[in-house]
Amino acid sequence: METVQEYRVQAADLPPRGKTLCVEVAGTEILLCHTAEGFFAVDNLCTHAAARLCEGKLKGHRILCPLHSGAFDVRDGSALTRPATVAIKSYPVHAEGEDIIIAL
Amino acid sequence: MTEDASTRPGEARASGPSVADTLASDGIPPPPPLLENCYTFLGDKDIGFGRYTSPEFFRRELESLWPRTWQWACREEHVPEEGDTYVYYIGPYSVIVVRSGEDVIEAFLNTCTHRGTRLLAGEGSGYSPAFTCPFHGWSWEINGTIRNIPGRWDFPHVKNETHDLQRVLCERWGGFVFINMDLHARPLADYLGVMPEHFRHFPLERRGVKLHVQKKLPANWKAAQEAFLEAYHNFETHDSPNGGNTQYDVFSKYVSRFIHNIGNYSPESLEDYAGDKFRQPLLTEEELLAFLGVYGIEVDGLQPGERARGVIAEKLRSHFGEALGVDLSQVSESVMLDSIEYHLFPNMFFFAGITVPMVYRFRPDGTDVDNSIFDLLLLEPLAEGAEPPEPPEPVLLDVEQSYTEVEALGWLGAIYDQDTGNLALQQQGFKTSRKPGLTLGNYQEARIRRVHMTLDEFLSNSDGAI
Repeated sequence: METVQEYRVQAADLPPRGKTLCVEVAGTEILLCHTAEGFFAVDNLCTHAAARLCEGKLKGHRILCPLHSGAFDVRDGSALTRPATVAIKSYPVHAEGEDIIIAL
Repeated sequence: MTEDASTRPGEARASGPSVADTLASDGIPPPPPLLENCYTFLGDKDIGFGRYTSPEFFRRELESLWPRTWQWACREEHVPEEGDTYVYYIGPYSVIVVRSGEDVIEAFLNTCTHRGTRLLAGEGSGYSPAFTCPFHGWSWEINGTIRNIPGRWDFPHVKNETHDLQRVLCERWGGFVFINMDLHARPLADYLGVMPEHFRHFPLERRGVKLHVQKKLPANWKAAQEAFLEAYHNFETHDSPNGGNTQYDVFSKYVSRFIHNIGNYSPESLEDYAGDKFRQPLLTEEELLAFLGVYGIEVDGLQPGERARGVIAEKLRSHFGEALGVDLSQVSESVMLDSIEYHLFPNMFFFAGITVPMVYRFRPDGTDVDNSIFDLLLLEPLAEGAEPPEPPEPVLLDVEQSYTEVEALGWLGAIYDQDTGNLALQQQGFKTSRKPGLTLGNYQEARIRRVHMTLDEFLSNSDGAI
C-alpha cells in the first residue's frame, strides 16, 4: 500500500496569520497553524480528552483546546498548560513556491 | 534648602528651579493637569520593617487587601473576541476575565462550584467557548451560567443561583480590565479619582502593548514597588542628575503622582549630595543633548540660544511621530520627555508620557512574603483609526536574569537592573536592622507613606467598603 509522504496546501487555501486550517491526510486530522513565526503543523486532537483543536484558537504560538483550555506550543507540539500534559505530534513543514508542504 | 524652624514639616523643597518652573519655560505648554500641585504633610513616623517581612502581616494582606481592592487584570485587547479569556493570579486567588459578548467583559473566580478545582490553569490569555472543569466535567457558559452537570440526577440540590460561576466585579478604564473580588466594593471611579480627567490628555485606551516583561523580584511586593515611587534614588542608583527636584503629588488615598524632568536638570537640587558630580563642572547643554543617542538619533549640536530640552523634544516628536504614524507636533515637551508617573493603590503605575510610556504592576509571588512579581508593559500610542495589536506574550525573567536580556527594552534594560538590583539587599537588611522601621522623606517619599496609610485602612476595616 502506498504511504502518503507529504501533503500540499495550495497557496489559495492557506489560513491568514493568526488562524488555522484543519486538513485530513490518510484518516488523520492535521492542523496547519499560521503564526507570526511562520507555518507549523500539529495533530488536531488534544492529547488530554481528544477535543478537536481546530475548534479552539491560535494565540501567538499557542493552540488552545476548546474543552479545557489546555495549551500546546505549535512550534514543537509540547504541552504548556494543564490539563494537557502530553505533547501533540508535530510535523515538519516547508514552503514550495507559495504552497506549504507538510511532511508526514 | 534645608528644613528648619522657619518651615513646617513637609514644606521644604529642593533648591533651584522646580518642575513647575521647567514646564512654564517649555515651548509647548503642558496639559493643565501637569500644572496641578497637590501635597499635604502626611506624618514622619517610621514604617515598621515587619510590614515587609512578617508572615502574619502578609496573611492579613491576603485576607483583607487583595480580595477587596481594584486591580487591573489585563488589557481589553487581551480578550478581543467572544470566548477569549485571561487568567489573572493574585496571591492564592485566581480570576477569569472573559469577553462574553461583543462589548461585554465579565470576570469570575477561577474555581469550580462543584469541588473547587481551578477551571483554567496558567496565567495569561486563552480561549474557552465554554468553561469545563477537568475534574468531573461540570460546564458553564461563558456568562457563568450552568451549562451541563454530568449525572445531574444526583444533584437535585444544585441550582443556578447557588452554582453558577462566582462573579467578581469587573470594570474598564484606559483600555485596562479591572477586577475586584469584593462584591460590595465601591465603584472603580471612586478609586480612580482624578485619573480619568488627567488621562483624557494622554488616553491609554489609544495605546497598544509593545512589550510585556514579567520578572520575579527578591523582595516583598511593597518594597519592590517603592523602588519606583520616588526619584530620590536617581542620583545614587542611576548616577543620574535628574530627580533631585522631582514634583510629588498625593491626590487622594488611592492616587499619587510624580513628575521629573528629562533633558535638563537642577544642579542646585543636588547641593548637599556627596562630591561635586553634576555641579563641578556643570553638565553642558551639549552633554544633555547627547541623551538623544539612546534613540540612535544623531546630534548636530545646538544653535546659539537653543536649549537641549527643547531640541531633544523636537527631535523625538518627529522620530516617534514617524515611527508610530502619530502626529506629535503639538505635544508638549513634558509629555514627550518627562517621567510622569501615576500610582493607583495598591500596586499599579501608569505613565502619561510618550517616550516614558510604561505601566507597572507589583504583586506577591504566590503566597511568599519575601518575593514578588513585577509586570512591566510598554504602551505605544496608536495611529488614528488603528486597532490595538494582539498583545505580545510576556517575556519571563527569573530573579537572577537581567533586563538587558530583553533586547526590545533597549537602554532601559540597564536602568531596570539598577532599580531592581537593590531589592535583595533591602529585603535582607529589613531582617537585620535593630532600628524597627524605615524612615521616609517628608516630601520625596510621601507617596510611599500614603500607600501604607491606605493599606492600614484596609487591614483595620476588614468588613466595610474602603
